[in-house]
Amino acid sequence: MSEDYFSFVNQLFNSSKIWEKPEVLKGIRVLELTHAIFGPQVGRVLAQFGAEVIKVEEPWDGDLFRTATVWSRYWKHSNIMFHVMHANKYFVAINLKKEKGRELIKKLAKISDVVVENFRAGLAEAWGIGYTQLSKVNPKIIYLSCSGYGQWGPLRFFPSVDLVAQSMAGVATLTGFPGQTYKLPDYYGDFLPGMFGVISVLTALYYREKTGKGQYIDLSQAECLMRVMHNFTYLSITEKEIGCTGNIDPTMSPSGIFKTKDGKFIALAIATDEQFYKLLEAMNKSSSIINNEKFSKIHERLKPENMEELIRIVEEWVKTKSMEEIIELAKKYGFPASPVMDDWEIFNDEWRRERGSIVTVNDEMYGEAVLPGPVVMLHKTPGRIKWLSRPVGYHNKYVFKKLLGLSDEEIKQLEKEGVIGYWDNKPGLKPPIYYDLKNDKIFNY
Amino acid sequence: MKNEKPQVFSKHLADRKVLKQLSIFEEILLKMMTSIENKPEALSDVLVLEVSYANFAGIITASILAELGAEVIKVEPPEGDPARKITYNSVYFGDVGIPFLVESRNKHYITLDLKSEEEREKFKKLVSKASVIIDATKPGFMDSLGVGYRQLKEINSGLIYAAISPYGHYTSKAKEFSNIPDTDLTAQAASGFPALIGDPKLPEPYNYPIRAGIWAAWYMTSVLAVTGILLALIHKAKTGEGQMIDLASNDAISVCHGYPIAMAYIFEKARPRIGIYDYIAFPYAYLPCKDGNVAVVCIRDEDFRGLLKILGRWDLEDDWKSILDRITDDISRLEMLGLELKKEFSKYACDELVKKALSYCIKSARKKIGGGFPIIVKTMSPSEVLKEKHWKIRNALLEIEHPIHGKFIIPNFPAKMSETPPRIKWIKYGLGEDNEQIRKKYNLD
Repeated sequence: MSEDYFSFVNQLFNSSKIWEKPEVLKGIRVLELTHAIFGPQVGRVLAQFGAEVIKVEEPWDGDLFRTATVWSRYWKHSNIMFHVMHANKYFVAINLKKEKGRELIKKLAKISDVVVENFRAGLAEAWGIGYTQLSKVNPKIIYLSCSGYGQWGPLRFFPSVDLVAQSMAGVATLTGFPGQTYKLPDYYGDFLPGMFGVISVLTALYYREKTGKGQYIDLSQAECLMRVMHNFTYLSITEKEIGCTGNIDPTMSPSGIFKTKDGKFIALAIATDEQFYKLLEAMNKSSSIINNEKFSKIHERLKPENMEELIRIVEEWVKTKSMEEIIELAKKYGFPASPVMDDWEIFNDEWRRERGSIVTVNDEMYGEAVLPGPVVMLHKTPGRIKWLSRPVGYHNKYVFKKLLGLSDEEIKQLEKEGVIGYWDNKPGLKPPIYYDLKNDKIFNY
Repeated sequence: MKNEKPQVFSKHLADRKVLKQLSIFEEILLKMMTSIENKPEALSDVLVLEVSYANFAGIITASILAELGAEVIKVEPPEGDPARKITYNSVYFGDVGIPFLVESRNKHYITLDLKSEEEREKFKKLVSKASVIIDATKPGFMDSLGVGYRQLKEINSGLIYAAISPYGHYTSKAKEFSNIPDTDLTAQAASGFPALIGDPKLPEPYNYPIRAGIWAAWYMTSVLAVTGILLALIHKAKTGEGQMIDLASNDAISVCHGYPIAMAYIFEKARPRIGIYDYIAFPYAYLPCKDGNVAVVCIRDEDFRGLLKILGRWDLEDDWKSILDRITDDISRLEMLGLELKKEFSKYACDELVKKALSYCIKSARKKIGGGFPIIVKTMSPSEVLKEKHWKIRNALLEIEHPIHGKFIIPNFPAKMSETPPRIKWIKYGLGEDNEQIRKKYNLD
């Protein structure tokens, strides 16, 4: 083959062609009874790949996450992260505490493929919109319940958020230098479980495609975190804890986060003997270290005392090189290294824009925004960000008229009875003040 | 299960009738969700070939697909995947490291030397039967041997080819950085995780950016890869078409939660590291008590008021009333309130404080109006989690007996599914263990 492999792959993922390509989940309707991050993450990813996701909120208040801003900073009178979580979705506001509200949910469930909820365990069932009730209306439904500890077992009613789940799963005691304890940042305890939610829904959709059968899925946030820990296995074999190891990855020797000559932080980690020899070559230290049997083989290097000695040697070497020099050596010799990147460096990283991991969206209501792109890249059915989130109840008329066939009078009546509603006059819930709502065709559908 | 009276932490559940309904629901679930043996597996018609080299993102991706029922064959060079040797503190089980043991779920193992033409033909024969290939080798390596996506799609047009590497297989950086191998630590660094963990006010080196104490990046990359593969399988079920999927582990965490991108966009700078504190809620932290740490979470103002009542510090209410008072980019202000809380927390043993908060929440749930839900739980270590009976009832941690090396524990798949329950059927890891069986089954000789 004469063509360069990388230009071949570049062609496959050419970003200018994305909008001509099909969406894999087109025609799949998802009813999202969610709040905060865990549940919405499931709908977010499904919506990136073409599913029609209807987000149901409480009238007036909406999802609590709408006002959960970093440092209380709003962007165009809205929470920028709410846009990240809710791009491409439809927004209706239904009062679930009213019988008529639950009837609306049942009508929507009847014409949906997937229901996702992340109320307190049991609450959806208590409100008459749980799996046992909605599967009667729609036997083919795929119903995902997201909760802290699952829908059965003695802990099921216990409250959970990301940080609490990290504590209950045992993650909480693993990050930091010995004696310290830090949380995993940016709600990893919500986003990772959210991805397990996506995986289980897609698996159920694949099965339904073959058999026509729906199913119930019970997903526990804490169990997702436990799935990605090796600590239980280590403990069961050694009867010891791995514990906190600061910057060192205890499975990689040498490894750590080091300071370069120009005062920058760099992560280095050596996974194999081959990578170790490459690093030594780059350090110009081959002969003295390779012959030392404490270091030549991986199982020797991984012994804590040997690892520590090696890390000191690497630390001294890193001090004599600039960040750029080390990255150049890593590219040339082939050992794992990366700068420690912060928000600003990530945002300005041209590579991520080229990949499509950072995209510029032009939204009818909010104008231009720069946001994360789809979470995974597929060349024939790529994900995309089509529009940003909308105020509470923005799609009420659109959804109730178009999908449920309600008349203007019926909708007015439901509004009057407080069954459906719109936004309170607060940032995060309402449209930007300068937005011309009167001429909005979707809102006034 | 015994009929212990459940404690609830939600106003909507604090009702005898509702609790009765939910105990019936729990019985339905126990029947519907816990018998798995005779149920079908969702991916039973999917053959996956895993080709990874010292890259656990590939290994974990294959492991999850195997838990969902796919037939997974790990194809290794005759000397084996170096990932087998990666482990904690040089602890091995048999001859494999702890991570390899944890991720050796439901797999088959064959050895094929892809550098030999004869063996490559056998590989191609397998590919013609496969739905999915996971390529977690150096970008371009498979193509250089004539078994990359552009050659294999010619012999199997329905092939789904998932490429996993630090910088991906496309963009201008792909080729330039193809020599740099993947590790969890370097991927965490490139994704902006360590830049948010730690406390810059501490003395060196405790003020360095800190690594998340689990393989946060490798696991995130894997769940995104599984997501991409399932989406492609759904497209294939509808159209017969395969496609290429690209994962960049250096990008996985940041694109999945999106915070670094959205935050840099609105603040035009990086968020600084702020120790134990959080950016959107206060308190949302691990705080030290007399005998250990607790996680304390107060999301809404009423939750914070509840905490002040528990601590008997109503005097703080006036200055820190609203979330707008408590959340600020002025770290010295965060610390002012933080110090007050730390002072109070240090007066209690963990269990004492946890109990106080729980009984406050239970009372809140029964009040008609008012009453917040300040959540306080102990930050548990993995060995404490192992003792929790809730996880035993849910089968979250499985004990497995190896005929030679004895018992060990591994975490189960976190999503419980009623029709197609994911499951661990066996754990085995012998290099080339299934050579004969697979060669026969697929007629490779």
